[in-house]
Amino acid sequence: MKNMRGLSRGGVELPRRAPYTHQGIENAYLPIQARVPVPASPEGRDARILVSEGQELREGQLIARAEGKGAANIHSPIPGYVRRIERKRGRDGLPISEVVISLAGAFSISGKRQERYIWKSLNKGDILHIIQDKGVVQASTGKPVYDLLHARFEGGHPRLVINALEMDPYRRVEEAILIERLPALLDACDIVAKVLKPRAVYCAVERGLDKAIVEAIEAAAAEAELPIEIRAVPRRYPADMPSIVARQLADAEGENYMPAEWISLEPSVLLAVHDAVVLNKAHMEQYVYVGGGAINEARVVKARIGSPIGDLIEECGGFRGEAASVVVNDPLCGWAAADLDEAVDKRTRSVIALSPEEAHRAPLRPCVRCGSCVDACPEGLEPYMLYKLIAAGRRDEAMELGLGRCSSCAACSWACWSRLPLVTAFDAAKGAEGA
Amino acid sequence: MNYLCALSLAPVLLWSLVLYGAAAAAVWASASVSALLCQLAVDAVYGKLSVLDGSALVTGLLVATIMPPGAAWYMPASASAFAIVVARGLFGGYGKNWMNPALAGAAFAFANWPEAMRSYLMPRALSGVDGLSGVSPVGMIRDLDAFVSVGPMEALRQLGYPISAADGVATGFLNDALFLPLGARLPEGYMDLLLGLKPGALGDGALIAVLAGSVLLLSVRSIKWRIPLFALVPFVILVRAFGIGLPSEGFMQGDVLFALSGGGVVLASFYMATDPVCSPVRRGAQAVYGLIIGVLFYVFRRFGSYADGAVYAILIANVLCPSLERRLPQLGRIIRLRRSA
Repeated sequence: MKNMRGLSRGGVELPRRAPYTHQGIENAYLPIQARVPVPASPEGRDARILVSEGQELREGQLIARAEGKGAANIHSPIPGYVRRIERKRGRDGLPISEVVISLAGAFSISGKRQERYIWKSLNKGDILHIIQDKGVVQASTGKPVYDLLHARFEGGHPRLVINALEMDPYRRVEEAILIERLPALLDACDIVAKVLKPRAVYCAVERGLDKAIVEAIEAAAAEAELPIEIRAVPRRYPADMPSIVARQLADAEGENYMPAEWISLEPSVLLAVHDAVVLNKAHMEQYVYVGGGAINEARVVKARIGSPIGDLIEECGGFRGEAASVVVNDPLCGWAAADLDEAVDKRTRSVIALSPEEAHRAPLRPCVRCGSCVDACPEGLEPYMLYKLIAAGRRDEAMELGLGRCSSCAACSWACWSRLPLVTAFDAAKGAEGA
Repeated sequence: MNYLCALSLAPVLLWSLVLYGAAAAAVWASASVSALLCQLAVDAVYGKLSVLDGSALVTGLLVATIMPPGAAWYMPASASAFAIVVARGLFGGYGKNWMNPALAGAAFAFANWPEAMRSYLMPRALSGVDGLSGVSPVGMIRDLDAFVSVGPMEALRQLGYPISAADGVATGFLNDALFLPLGARLPEGYMDLLLGLKPGALGDGALIAVLAGSVLLLSVRSIKWRIPLFALVPFVILVRAFGIGLPSEGFMQGDVLFALSGGGVVLASFYMATDPVCSPVRRGAQAVYGLIIGVLFYVFRRFGSYADGAVYAILIANVLCPSLERRLPQLGRIIRLRRSA
C-alpha cells in the first residue's frame, strides 16, 4: 500500500462519516410492481421498447434495446407482465419512458443454482459484447461500461483503477462490497483486464480504511495473480469522482493525466460486470446504501431496479423522527427524490433521508465574492463568475471560462457562504447546450 | 461570516472602552445603532429582511473604528447612514456595493467635519485628565518644520509629547529581558503606540487589539490573506527605504514601527481592504490590489495633505477592482502569447 497526497487543488472538507456498522449485504424484497425507467440516449434518441402492454416477461428479459451512443439495454428485473408503458418527464425534465411490470410467474434466475460460465475461453470481443448486451452501466457517471471499455479498447493499454473511494459522508456501498464480494470483484478485474490488457491495475482506497480489508485485498490479489497496487487516498471531497481519482493517481506517478489512458470503475460496477459475464445476469440489481440521520438503521441492500425507494426505507426500519428531505445518491451531487415511489435505477447508489439538522436549510444570500468557491473547485474554475454569467444569460462567455470542464461535484456549492445553488445553475446551463 | 468579523472587533472595542470610557462607548453605539436602523429602512424599501445577516452591524462597527473618540453623536450616526443607504442600499444592497460602505461613510465624515474628525481625545491614562484633545502622533510629525533633524520618536519628545508610566515599565522590562541580551534597545514611546496610549481614532489606537482581531480572522480563514500581505509589505519596505518625509531620514532609515502604529494602516488593511464584496476574487488580482493599496498608503502618508489617508487608498483600490479582475487576465494572456510567439 502506498499513501497518496490527494487532490492537487480544490476540494472541501465534508462532515465526518455517519456512523455505520456493517451487517452484511441483504437482498431487498422484490417489488410488487417494478417501475423500470427507459431513458433516452444522451443524444436524445429513445430506446426501442421491445415489449407491449400485457406481455409476459421472464426475469432478465430484454425490454428495451439501446439506440445510439451512451445508452444501455434495459432488462426486466422481475418476472411478470407489462402492466403499462408510460411516457413521463425524467429528473432533467426531458421525457422518458417507464415500463411498469407487475410481479408474477416463476423465477428463472433467482433461487436457481448459479452456473458459472467459463469466461476464460472467451475472447475480448465476446466479453465486450456480453457487457453491452447485459446493459451494464457505471452508476457514478451513468455511462454504459461497454462504451467506456470500447473507447479504450484500441488505444494502447490504459491503466485500470478500482475506485473504492466514497468521500460523501454517508455511502458505504463500495466498502461493503470490498468486505463481502472480494472474489467476485477480482474475477471482474480479471475480465476487464482481459479486455483492456492494462499497463497497471490500481485500487484506490481511503486512507484509514480498516487494515484487515486492505490485507484481504492484497492476499486475494496475490492468489488471483493480479498485480494490484493499492493506493491510499486522504479523505477529501471530491477525490472519489472517477476522473479526479485517475488524475490524482497520474499526478502521484508523475505523469501527465490523459483521460483516454485511464479508466476507473467502482467495485459495484465491476460486480455487475462479473454478474453479466460469469453468471449470465443482466444489470438488474443495484447495491444501494440506505441511511442518513432520519433512517432507523443504515444498511446496504441489493435491490432490484424498479423498486420504489420507499420500500427500501421501510426495510431499514423506516424513518426516525422527521425527514427533511430524501436524497438519492450523495447529498452533494445527488437529487432530492420527488416522492417515495421514485424507482431505483442503474444510477442509484444510495438513498439518504436527511434529518432537519442534516439538511440544514438556510436562506439564499447574495454573493459576497468571498472566493471560497474558487478555492474549492477541483477543476480550477471560478464558479462565482460562471454563476454570474449564467444568471445574466451569457452562457457562451461561461463556456469560454470553462463551464464545460465542470464535473458537477458541488464542492463549490458546499463551500459557498451565501448558499447559492451554483451546481444546479451549471447543470442547467450545460444541459441547455444540447437543446 | 459577518458575525465572526464583528466578534473579531471585540478586542478593539473593549480596549477602546478601557482607554476612553464613555466617550468611546457613545461612538460605537451611535455608529452601530444608526447602521442597523438604516438597514431596517433599506430592507423595508426592498421588501426583504437582511438586517439579520450581520453585515450592517459590521459596517457600523467599522465606521466607528475610524471615528475619533468623543466625536459628537451625529458624526458616526450620519457616517453609518451614508454607508448603509448611499454606498450600499442605493446600489442594490449587500453584495452589490462597489466600494467599502464603512470607508465611504468615513470619507463622508472626513469631508464634512475635517477638523473634528482629526482632533482626537487623549486617553485618560496618558493625560490624567478627561476631555483633553490632541493631534495624533502621525499628524503631528507631518506638521513639523524641516529643521528637526531627529527621528519621529525623538521629535515627538522634543515637542513635549507625553510618555505614559505604562510605557516606561513595559519598555524597561522588554529591554532588560529581551532586547539588551540581543544587543538592541527599544526606545521609549513605542509601547505607547502599541498599546494605544496616544491620541488616535478608535480602531487606530490599540495596535495590539487590532492584531488580536486580525489573527482571529486569519485563523478561521474568513479573509483573503493575500491582500493585507501585499499591502503591508510594500508599505513597510517603502517606509523603511524612503522614510515618511522627515529630513533626518536617510535611505533605509525610515521608522517602520512608528509608521505601522499610526494612521490606521493595520486595521485598514486587515478589515477594510479585505471586505470581500469589493475586493478581487482572483488570486493574482488580489495581490495587485493589495499592492496598489500598500503603495497608496505610502503615497498618502508621505505626500498627502492628511496623514490618515488609508481610507482613501482603499476607496481608490475598490474603484479599480473591477478593472483589475477583468483586465489582468487579458494582460496575462497577452504576455503569455508574446512569450510563446
